[in-house]
Amino acid sequence: MNISRRFMQCDVFADYTGAGNGLAVVLDGANLSTEQMQAFAKFTNMSETTFVLPTSTSEASYRVRIFTPASELPFAGHPSVGTAHAVLEAGLVKAGEGRLVQECAAGLLPMMVEGSGKDRCISVRAPRGKIIPHDDTIRGLLNTATANMALGSLPATLVNNGPQWWCVELADETAVRELKPQLHEIALLTQASKAVGLSVFAHSDSANYQLVVRAFCPDDNIPEDPVTGSANAAIAALMHECMVLETIGATYTASQGREVGRDGFVQVRIDADGEVWIGGKTQTVIEGSLSWD
Amino acid sequence: MPPRPYLQVDVFSKRPGCGNPLAVVLDAEGLTSEQMQEIAAWTNLVETTFVLPPTQANADYRVRIFTPQREIPFAGHPSLGTAHALLAAKQIRVQKGEIIQECGAGLIPIRIETSRIFRRRLFFRAPAVKNIQTFDGENASAKAVFSALELGQLAPSLVEGGRKWWIAEMRDEHALRQLNPDYDAITAMSKASDSMGLCVFARCKEQDYQLAVRAFAPAFGIQEDPASGAANATIAAYLLESGALETIGHNYRVSQGREIGHDATIDLRATRQDDIWVGGECQTVINGSMNWIDSK
Repeated sequence: MNISRRFMQCDVFADYTGAGNGLAVVLDGANLSTEQMQAFAKFTNMSETTFVLPTSTSEASYRVRIFTPASELPFAGHPSVGTAHAVLEAGLVKAGEGRLVQECAAGLLPMMVEGSGKDRCISVRAPRGKIIPHDDTIRGLLNTATANMALGSLPATLVNNGPQWWCVELADETAVRELKPQLHEIALLTQASKAVGLSVFAHSDSANYQLVVRAFCPDDNIPEDPVTGSANAAIAALMHECMVLETIGATYTASQGREVGRDGFVQVRIDADGEVWIGGKTQTVIEGSLSWD
Repeated sequence: MPPRPYLQVDVFSKRPGCGNPLAVVLDAEGLTSEQMQEIAAWTNLVETTFVLPPTQANADYRVRIFTPQREIPFAGHPSLGTAHALLAAKQIRVQKGEIIQECGAGLIPIRIETSRIFRRRLFFRAPAVKNIQTFDGENASAKAVFSALELGQLAPSLVEGGRKWWIAEMRDEHALRQLNPDYDAITAMSKASDSMGLCVFARCKEQDYQLAVRAFAPAFGIQEDPASGAANATIAAYLLESGALETIGHNYRVSQGREIGHDATIDLRATRQDDIWVGGECQTVINGSMNWIDSK
């Protein structure tokens, strides 16, 4: 059968094309089997590929399934932001009063849409971050993995917000930007602690952003991820928990990706209920039709 | 800049997802080399190609080929996928069943075969094989690899086509498909001999293909390649040299990639050492446009 489906590939957390994290979106994913979805996600080789489906509840604006080249995910930040952008661009949904509700395997997630055109910013409420305690064995691996880092004042912490992220504050922006991560040692740490990766961050005095972030997932074959929604949400949850947000503010911009040739910006907000929202701009790069059936 | 026509193609593939993917940007004039490299890094596919007007009178088009890391002068699967994209977009016309590609390696002929049974298949002429060195049992790093294999009748050899590959025949298809390669040993052999890595093949009976192939290039970050153009040409040269094509046939079909979730089909035409063609079907998976707005 030669079925043609609407397709979009966009760049998320990006002020211009090529600055952010790529995402493939199949706008009418109905009647594709799980196996076909997984095979297509492997073919695109994007960090994530999403499939838009009819909603199963009237509260939802759209439903989405999210796949990496290897497996399906219940939720992830950049695919949520990018899929919302794609369904708005394609005219499949309208954001009533700047709100959308995404239905995904992790449940119904509220989203916010602000601004318009190239500068439109879409945010998703991240699952609540929990701090996960670690034992002495893990502490040893952590010390080895961070031995070459100029650490900041917060203790290195494991945060679970769906995936588990190590969040490590460094002394300053230079320490983050010039870090040469010990990928092997980081892989040993993340493996032993069931973490998806290790992120480092520091405050910045830049006019355009207040935090600088990098994220390493060597055990997932991603030495460094260009721009990472969930890691940024985990870092925000940690700073909120440690009550250090006064200096940076409850709304800030994080810079990520320059060390891998990108230049992404993540807008982070901690609301009055302590919930973390992550968002950003999305650029449409590829539009067309898909033949996969 | 207006959006440019863009296709994502599956090469050596009878169904979408079986072969080796390729991104093709048509009408790439006006993009700088830096932008091409950025786009190739962003698409994250093994190769992305950019189509430009030819600079030589007898070429039908010019193509530049980029991996996510760098530009390369030539490779088989990007050449076939690019020609397919141009035919699908009706940007070139075929005369006498052949088109001429201009690329970093010069002018490459691409032949088109059509028949009632098969969909359109494209073939590129492989770089001539220069040197076939039979394994003499002396080379220590090669010995470490071959002593662990269930070898077939022909002796392993180091074959130099466009690039060098070690080639080894396996006892049968089952032995080939079950093989768990020793990547460290292959890496050591590849470095010691300045070669891409190891290609293994087995002759197949009662299948719709005559050869099954697997290609390992761990020293270049490719544990296993789903569908190899040039490597299959070196195997064909080796089989031709040894006389084995008298029984296999000078036109034969290869199955590759099943062990890593692909199912590529590659067709070979090998009548003379300087006239080896590698080809297959291509599928258009994504057909649309690319908007690359570089406003740094």
